[in-house]
Amino acid sequence: MSTVLERLDHLPRRNLTVLALKGIGSLVPGGWQNLTSADALIAEVMGTDDPQLISQVRQRADTLSRARHEGYGRALSLYDAVNRSQKAAGGLRVLANIGGALPLVKNLTNLTPTSDSLQAVDLSLKVAAEMLAFTQVNGLPGDSFADFAAALNEYGGEARVRMAALVCFDALLPLGDQALERLDGLLGSVGRGELKQLPAYGAMASLIPGRGDEAHLNFLRQGVSHWLGWAGGFVQGLGLTGQKAVKALESTIGPWQGGFEQLATFLDAFTDTYQHTGVQAVARRLVERAAAEI
Amino acid sequence: MSRILRWGLGLLLAAGLVLGAFLLLPFQSWLPGGTVGGISTGKVVNGTAFNRLFPSPQPGETLVFTQEKRGFSEARLKRASSTKALLAISDTITAPEARSKFSASQEQVKGWPLVEQGPQASALLVEDRFQVKVIAQGVGLDAEQRHELLGDFDLQGLAALNPEHRAGRRAAKALPASRSQPVSLAPQPAPERADDAVSPVMEPAA
Repeated sequence: MSTVLERLDHLPRRNLTVLALKGIGSLVPGGWQNLTSADALIAEVMGTDDPQLISQVRQRADTLSRARHEGYGRALSLYDAVNRSQKAAGGLRVLANIGGALPLVKNLTNLTPTSDSLQAVDLSLKVAAEMLAFTQVNGLPGDSFADFAAALNEYGGEARVRMAALVCFDALLPLGDQALERLDGLLGSVGRGELKQLPAYGAMASLIPGRGDEAHLNFLRQGVSHWLGWAGGFVQGLGLTGQKAVKALESTIGPWQGGFEQLATFLDAFTDTYQHTGVQAVARRLVERAAAEI
Repeated sequence: MSRILRWGLGLLLAAGLVLGAFLLLPFQSWLPGGTVGGISTGKVVNGTAFNRLFPSPQPGETLVFTQEKRGFSEARLKRASSTKALLAISDTITAPEARSKFSASQEQVKGWPLVEQGPQASALLVEDRFQVKVIAQGVGLDAEQRHELLGDFDLQGLAALNPEHRAGRRAAKALPASRSQPVSLAPQPAPERADDAVSPVMEPAA
């Protein structure tokens, strides 16, 4: 199994995922840097190019990411699970869209509806994955709840582009500008059947606290309702809307003729934004730790 | 062939296969363990114990804890929204190689050996066990400010966390005289250091 830093080194430098993130990054102050070199990251954290120090930090980071108890690998497998599920669902929907144009297989389109509630569960799984990954990577920092909230806020600030991509691609585009307001209601109507339909759930179920699908659904609802408070302020602060997101994406990907929902489907099927930024976020925290431990 | 011989050969083959699989295939990742450096987590001091030892921030600054694991705790020192430095305490039991750099140390802070790692990072080794580190970020802090920050940690509290220390040897803790001194930044002559501070620290470990 490759370590976190190896995966960082193998991230694509230029593809659709990178372009989509660059587009969304233009909506966020500070923009987005595509970090794909572990050595550059270490040099940035340590403030030096000394090859000996860099190789020491790298060695320590590899040791830490190989130790399963430390959770760095587990965080990455969470991101991978969510990404696989997103691609599978997106691919089905793309097929359905193409199928819809051919008269003979038109009926097939009815088989794979991207119902709003399914999209809502998908989003809630991503939010839950984000929270679980946070605790896997960072533990529970601080001694009090206020400390923990501050740590989450700090993380949110660092992961602004990542969160903007999550909000745009998985909420505003597929569910409309009122997505965050609607989310609670949508999740309320979700049953166990819909949860089971998502492949990511199967991969994540063992990591979600609580026993049984009902308890997991409750965890997802609670997680999302916490996240909504933060995301609402985030969306308002940046003035994010579906229209704005499409414009930002058009600036890097090219003109888009279809609807918002189709764009969301297309991005789901052909980009790995969640995994890409996930590897970068985990790598940064890992390097910060390794630098302190050498 | 007799029945017993057939069974014996079969069992031998099976045992050989299982043994070979464990030796040659990468089964390690399936086995229990997976801790850093193969040291059980019970022996590592938990990061929760480190949190209260961090320096309290100056007015206008905030301290945001970012990571807490077994044997590690890290916080960011922030002024307004920019990060000035990363502050961390780690238990070197999982990283014994980190201790070796202190043997060449020329400087001390509150009696503990100090080393510089590159232009931005300073590290202190407490009780030959815990590493305290300040890594400046951006144009954060110069060396002197970093040393001052290192001195602001509750080093005495940190030294008391050493399990070897707690086990006994409390009477032998003659060292604190040097700890209560103000931050000493000037390099001290090597022989004096050896008599004065370092050897009593080394004693409990030896």
